[in-house]
Amino acid sequence: MNEELRVAVDRRTNGAILYTKGYINNVGGEEIANRAYELMDADVRTLLLNLRETKIVNSIGISILIEIIEKMIDKGGKIAFCCLTPVIHKTFQIMGLANYATIYENEEAAIQDLAL
Amino acid sequence: MPPGRRFSDFLHEIQQIEKSAARGEAILQAFTRHTPFESGAVYLREGTSFRLSAKTPQWIAPEILDADPPNDVTPSNGLIFVPLRTPRECHGAVTLADGGQHSEEDFETLRVAGALLGAVITNQRMAQEMREGDFQLKYRLWELESLYDIGLSIAATLNIDELADEILFRTISLTNARRAALFLREGTRFKVYRSFGDVRGDFLDDELANEVVKQGTPMSFEEGADCIFPGCMAFVALPIKGNNESIGVLAAADRETRDGGIGAFDTNDLRLLSSFASQVGIALENSRLHREALEKQAMERELELAATIQRDILPKSLPVVEGIELAVLARPARQVGGDYHVFFERDGVLTMIVADVAGKSMPAALLVSALHAAIHLLFEEGRELAEIATELNKHIHRWSAENKFVTMVLVEIDREAETIRFVNAGHNPSYVISDFGIDELRSHGLPVGILSSSTYKTQTRSFPSGATVVLYSDGITEAEDVNGEEFENARLEQILEQYRNESPEVLRDRIAEAVDAFTVGAPQKDDQTLVIARTAR
Repeated sequence: MNEELRVAVDRRTNGAILYTKGYINNVGGEEIANRAYELMDADVRTLLLNLRETKIVNSIGISILIEIIEKMIDKGGKIAFCCLTPVIHKTFQIMGLANYATIYENEEAAIQDLAL
Repeated sequence: MPPGRRFSDFLHEIQQIEKSAARGEAILQAFTRHTPFESGAVYLREGTSFRLSAKTPQWIAPEILDADPPNDVTPSNGLIFVPLRTPRECHGAVTLADGGQHSEEDFETLRVAGALLGAVITNQRMAQEMREGDFQLKYRLWELESLYDIGLSIAATLNIDELADEILFRTISLTNARRAALFLREGTRFKVYRSFGDVRGDFLDDELANEVVKQGTPMSFEEGADCIFPGCMAFVALPIKGNNESIGVLAAADRETRDGGIGAFDTNDLRLLSSFASQVGIALENSRLHREALEKQAMERELELAATIQRDILPKSLPVVEGIELAVLARPARQVGGDYHVFFERDGVLTMIVADVAGKSMPAALLVSALHAAIHLLFEEGRELAEIATELNKHIHRWSAENKFVTMVLVEIDREAETIRFVNAGHNPSYVISDFGIDELRSHGLPVGILSSSTYKTQTRSFPSGATVVLYSDGITEAEDVNGEEFENARLEQILEQYRNESPEVLRDRIAEAVDAFTVGAPQKDDQTLVIARTAR
């Protein structure tokens, strides 16, 4: 199993989708943050994180995701997640991410709701 | 700008500093923009000292304040010290160049601004502490929930591969590790079953494995860490205990810290892993038992199929041959063996064959099936007994596994000639009972299938009218009682002597009853076959 996280970006008219593959830990979280902040600096205000190919997240990865969410909220934007494993979905709920970011079951529903 | 407006703007800007990432720069800008002082520096607390955070260009300022900031705005040696404090704590100070042009009102503005900034920084710190406290609380809740979920999820996962993934993922996320490996016992060693990240070799270092198993609880290693994970500085390893012994070892390495570094595992990690390992042990044991149950089911299905094959090829009825009475007993053991019998009748001559294939279960059943087909082909070609045995030997030797062979006895009763012809290839001696006593048809050749060069010769004996021939498999004479003692030929011969004048059916029943009485309470270990024929007087 590969532990390195890879991020792919799909720019959309009204925002962007980040596809993650791998472990969201400190290194992985920073990789997501860098991509997210680049997009925020480019005035992207709606970000969807598709975690379909991510099976593990640790507490440091979660804290980085919280920072990204807070920064986006400060800028008046929003962040959403989709395609979470049941374990990660429950983790996000317990750690409070679900209070500030919408979680969608699948990408189609997210794209439709966020008008991406 | 009216002084009142300037002051309110100053306070507003100070309040906004709470959200600023570059706090020192923001403070300095606010003070130089909204007061008459144009140059200065900002010092903020770092641990027990006050370190330079920002300064105006060309301003010369030491990196660290040589004394704690004063309690109030204080002019000293050409500088004005503005403490950033609340009544309980000091967060830093702003030092401004004192050109001597300041008023008492400016001092009051600095005093209020310093106090407000002190309160803002205190609020900011408290908010941060609350956030961190909230995060830690949620994190502990997550740990507990994870342990609970692990119990449920791994207990419900019987597939060993899914289980191994679940164990690794949980180990990594719970401990913030970057790498982990699950080793499972293989004989006396522990082999890598699943890993996340690089692992050295296929087996856990034996010395380390012994140490971990002996300790019985999670162990944190900093020396020799490289022996499992290449380039690793620290790792934790713990045994996974089964019912009677350690069935595996779980190891995790490279624990991340928030500042981007790698650190050693702490006591909380060891405690968590300890709770985790006991659940993993139960889950792995469940998985093993489930796998064994499936294998047992498969074996039972195979045995059932083998039994069906054998049942289907044994004669379903006895041939009717004028002047010859027949009786048969065929009792398969639960674990299917390879007893076989068959009859052929041609021109008033009865041929009987009893064979015993070496081995059990499906392989034996398949060999019996092959034997059955070959015997029928050879007999239909009109071959005589010795030819049949010789051809069978070649066939079985060529097409069967090395350790496969068949003992068999082929007997042909010619009532008109009052003779019996036979070939005994390594089989138990058959018995001929006549008015002249009990005679044996002993083996005179190797079992079929052992040597490709084996040939057999048909032997002939007298078989007067009213004589009886008894063919049997070793399942009769080697039937064991509860003490492991065998029935043996002596007991069989005693029955033959006692009931020598009875019909084949009676003789069969007496033998079966005697064997049953002898073995009562003991399991039947081998097939039992009896074929008895008697000619009319």
